[in-house]
Amino acid sequence: MTAVGDEVRHIESGPPPTRFARGWHCLGLVRDFDDGKPHQVNAFGQKLVVFAGEDGAINVLDAYCRHMGGDLSQGEVKGNEIACPFHDWRWGGDGRCKQIPYARRVPLRARTAAWPTMTQDGMLFVWNDPEGNPPTEDAVIPRIEGYDNPEWTDWVWYTTRIEGSNCREIVDNVVDMAHFFYVHFTFPTYFKNIFEGTVATQLMTGQGREDVARPQNSGNGPKSTGTTSTAAYYGPSFMIDDVTYHYSDGNDMPTTLINCHYPIDANSFVLQYGIMTKKPAGVDDEAATATARKLGDFIRIGFEQDVQIWRNKARIENPLLCEEDGPVYQLRRWYEQFYVDVADVKPEMTDRFEFEIDTTKPNEAWRHEVEQNIAKRAAASGQPV
Amino acid sequence: MAVRPDVRLDDAPMQPVSCGTCGAVVEARKSSWDQTSIQWNDDALAACMERRASSPRPGPNGATFTGCAALRDAIREAAVRGLLDVVDDEPLKTNPDHHPDQYDTEVHA
Ligand code: FES
Ligand SMILES: [Fe+2]
Repeated sequence: MTAVGDEVRHIESGPPPTRFARGWHCLGLVRDFDDGKPHQVNAFGQKLVVFAGEDGAINVLDAYCRHMGGDLSQGEVKGNEIACPFHDWRWGGDGRCKQIPYARRVPLRARTAAWPTMTQDGMLFVWNDPEGNPPTEDAVIPRIEGYDNPEWTDWVWYTTRIEGSNCREIVDNVVDMAHFFYVHFTFPTYFKNIFEGTVATQLMTGQGREDVARPQNSGNGPKSTGTTSTAAYYGPSFMIDDVTYHYSDGNDMPTTLINCHYPIDANSFVLQYGIMTKKPAGVDDEAATATARKLGDFIRIGFEQDVQIWRNKARIENPLLCEEDGPVYQLRRWYEQFYVDVADVKPEMTDRFEFEIDTTKPNEAWRHEVEQNIAKRAAASGQPV
Repeated sequence: MAVRPDVRLDDAPMQPVSCGTCGAVVEARKSSWDQTSIQWNDDALAACMERRASSPRPGPNGATFTGCAALRDAIREAAVRGLLDVVDDEPLKTNPDHHPDQYDTEVHA
């Protein structure tokens, strides 16, 4: 007989889900899609065409023309329709073929897949539902106060394609307190998750790691002293992070971060993040946008390190957790609601769950590590510690 | 995909605690004196008075109810009384100048 502690623990990887999550997915900024040209988007295991008609409405259709399979994303917008490059069949945003210039009439079955869309606060959303139903009532994306507001900058936006990982990897991060220290160079001092209904929230107070150079701390300006953040996923893929950056001169900088993704297929996804900040008094738009971009570029370093982890890690269904880890299993239980039919959503997936981490022990360990790193560096550069 | 239970519950499961103010019964687990998880259900949520009285905070995520203070107190009290286990075996931190024989009289002061 072997004692429990002597047994090798095995990773159970399990296959990624065979369907794509129900919910609103942000495809990016409206300004990148409303130019009257067709745009190809690979999402939900399919090729889609996104186009704005003359009426300004943005439409999302399956890219393959139901006539002979032409690729509508290589076509042309004519009026409010997308015209296929192969034989010029015209498809409306509702998925119906409106016109075949060389035919007397349109065949009865000329209907293709259309995705419900929504534009809000400068972003384009598409509703995915494997059951084909319209958006559910509980799928509401809150408004962003700073958008189209002269006191705030516009979006500074980033897009990156992640190969070789299922998008669950990024969703897991919302509960992963310790990875913020190691991967994002943030030092969490307070951390709590709340799941309820279709919303998964993370409350975090953090300091910057003093052993890591932060862009805000270059030069002689005020030093950043930390952040207070409330971040929440609304549905399976769209997170709003309401974060305030604190500075040594006592000034706070309210900031809105978006962290969103859409699946390309089961093993790749597009990650996008956006940032806007409230302009400090007396700072012009250009300077404020430059500051937002600096913050965004720092956030990018963190995401790039996430990507490096995802690219090399195993998919793991049975993570082995210590008490100082966040509620990974409960998060996945919440996340599962988007992968089953509405009729199969169970109360356990949506019931309110709270998890507050005691950061005492992690903070002791990390404080020590930061001090050691600073001392090592000082020793290496021959400066007194 | 089957939803798996948290592996940490194998050693220390969630335990019922009821709120002294509204009577809501939730499942709670304490990893340490400062770490708590709470599993609500519909009935408990409907009973919670602080939740009913709460109004949204500012900001896009202001609608999230961050938690009930009365329930937090009830969970802490259950732990102090030994009705709710605390996984971490470090004793409850008390004032070092505190004399144990004063504990009973002071704790409810
Ligand atoms: S394949 Fe599209 S019009 Fe013929
Ligand atoms: Fe991350």
